[in-house]
Amino acid sequence: MSTRQPILRAEDLHVWFDLPGDSELHAVQGVSFELRPGERMGLVGESGCGKTTTILALMGLLPASASVAGRVHLEGEDILAKGEESVSPHRWKDIAMVFQGAMNAFNPVKTIGSQIAEPMELHGTATGRAARAQVRELLELVGISGERAERYPHEFSGGMRQRAAIALALACEPHVLLADEPTTALDVMVQAQILELLVRLTRDLGLAMILVTHDLPVVAQVCDRAAVMYAGEIVEMGQMTTIYHDPRHPYTRMLFAATPDLLGDEDVLSIPGAPPRLDHEIVGCPFTPRCDSAFAPCPTAHPRRLEVAPGHEALCHLNDHLVAERPA
Amino acid sequence: MQRSDYILKRTLFALLTVFVAITLNFVLFRALPGDAVTGLKCHNCTIQFKNALRKDLGLDKSKWQQYVIYLKDLAHGDMGTTFISHRPVRGELWDPIKKTVAMIGLGTVFSIVFGIFTGVISAWRRGTVLDKVSVWTGLAFYSVPTQWLGLMIVYFVADRIGLPHGGIQSPDYGILGNPGTLDFLKDRIEHMILPALTLGLVLYGDYTLIVRSAMLETLGEDYVLTARAKGMSNWAIVWKHGFRNAMLPVVTLIALSLGFILGGAITIEYVFDYPGIGLAIVDAIDKRDYAFLQGAFLALTLSVILFNFIADLLYFKLDPRVTT
Repeated sequence: MSTRQPILRAEDLHVWFDLPGDSELHAVQGVSFELRPGERMGLVGESGCGKTTTILALMGLLPASASVAGRVHLEGEDILAKGEESVSPHRWKDIAMVFQGAMNAFNPVKTIGSQIAEPMELHGTATGRAARAQVRELLELVGISGERAERYPHEFSGGMRQRAAIALALACEPHVLLADEPTTALDVMVQAQILELLVRLTRDLGLAMILVTHDLPVVAQVCDRAAVMYAGEIVEMGQMTTIYHDPRHPYTRMLFAATPDLLGDEDVLSIPGAPPRLDHEIVGCPFTPRCDSAFAPCPTAHPRRLEVAPGHEALCHLNDHLVAERPA
Repeated sequence: MQRSDYILKRTLFALLTVFVAITLNFVLFRALPGDAVTGLKCHNCTIQFKNALRKDLGLDKSKWQQYVIYLKDLAHGDMGTTFISHRPVRGELWDPIKKTVAMIGLGTVFSIVFGIFTGVISAWRRGTVLDKVSVWTGLAFYSVPTQWLGLMIVYFVADRIGLPHGGIQSPDYGILGNPGTLDFLKDRIEHMILPALTLGLVLYGDYTLIVRSAMLETLGEDYVLTARAKGMSNWAIVWKHGFRNAMLPVVTLIALSLGFILGGAITIEYVFDYPGIGLAIVDAIDKRDYAFLQGAFLALTLSVILFNFIADLLYFKLDPRVTT
């Protein structure tokens, strides 16, 4: 692993959503992580665990009903410090996002090319003819014929639209790419092609990437590092291989067990129950009701974040004995 | 299906509708009990005279023959002769239609411009005082009966701002010498403003609410979030990504409502005594002017078809997805 300075660092990030009737939903509860240049990190978890909210918060894109606390350092600068004013110059130029292209990330009444050229003109990286030439290059880069720049989104297939969404994210040559479920709603063949494309691009262009998905095998295939989220917290984070071979949180272990094995010699296990609601304070470990290893302290005490090995941290009482062995 | 086929298809469809409308216009009038002569207000007419009149009008021929004659005459632009003034229906229709089109044109432009403007602002500033004021104003104008609003304007507004209560030209107009074209236009427009304002306000209420809801729906779309992520300013997003998409349903609704307005401005013309097509129709019903009514109904039907056709073309222009 590289020892270079992190390009993106989130520190104790919290997000609350105002709910009707004076209540709040604590969607992201103190998320911290670092992303180094060229690194690919997966952010995994079930629906509603706060993955998408986290990355939208990184770009300051949450709706007005959300309040954000914490710091996001992009190349050393706290981009959330002054709200819109400090984050908007960096959007797309330094940190860009791949939306779910199969959904409506493109405006149906404008050509794909004009929408890719838009951020270039907004940030002044290229205009007019130069921008159009760059659009063609970008499309070719993601495997779409440059002539299709003049086409409308409805004339693209789901896979092509996703490729175009990637080209759009690369428009201003960002350093950090946030990919939000880029392969959801695509069939497996196209999914594999898109993932391959993302790996190739991040490697060739030296991009750091956060891949948000509920699909653990996708992360295993693409990422160097993974962060597993549950109920608004990162419950385990570390090198992909470490997490796979030595998961230190039952949720991670159960997520891997819930993945079908190609050889089919192991049963696929599902995790019973559903994630907790986040509109009230949770006492103890939020995973307790669904955990197969829960014991005495779990329902009452919130677990501590412990570094179980260098670069591998987990949030589980099962690791508490480590503290006893090496007192802090 | 090719996109260029769309225009051809829509045109053919409009023409077919015109044909059906013409036929219905013929059939409905013939389906009524009695005929053009029965309803004449003529107490001294003998049976012989009425029969002679029937023969003269061609009513003794079979319905099929009458239909063919009707179509043939229409093809030559001949809509018959009015019963009262004995002048060609076409000319008699054209004059009030011109006046109505000018008046509702003014009102419609007013309502579209302000309706879209406040609707967009209202959606953009959703939940603010500005939005609430705009929505309640829109609702109020949308809900009041047109003729009541017209009366209120006549009673409370006309004198204050020094505009005429009704009619289409000043009583003393032209008495002192021959006024120039500019004076003529000024006089006409002054008489047009209040009825146009009444129509404009009622339509405004309708349009601003539609534009607001269409805009709100559009601003919730994923591509709006994409645009924000690209670093676009709010106003640019509303204008470049929201507006055109929000206009899709709005264009159809506006065009459809315009088609009906030509005939629907009757109450306004009545309140302001504005001699447009609405008043002319009321007058013709009063006088049992069979030929004029038949022509007027055809004209109103054609206006609905025309605006539908315009809506189709605009939709085609605005939305690249439209192919059928």
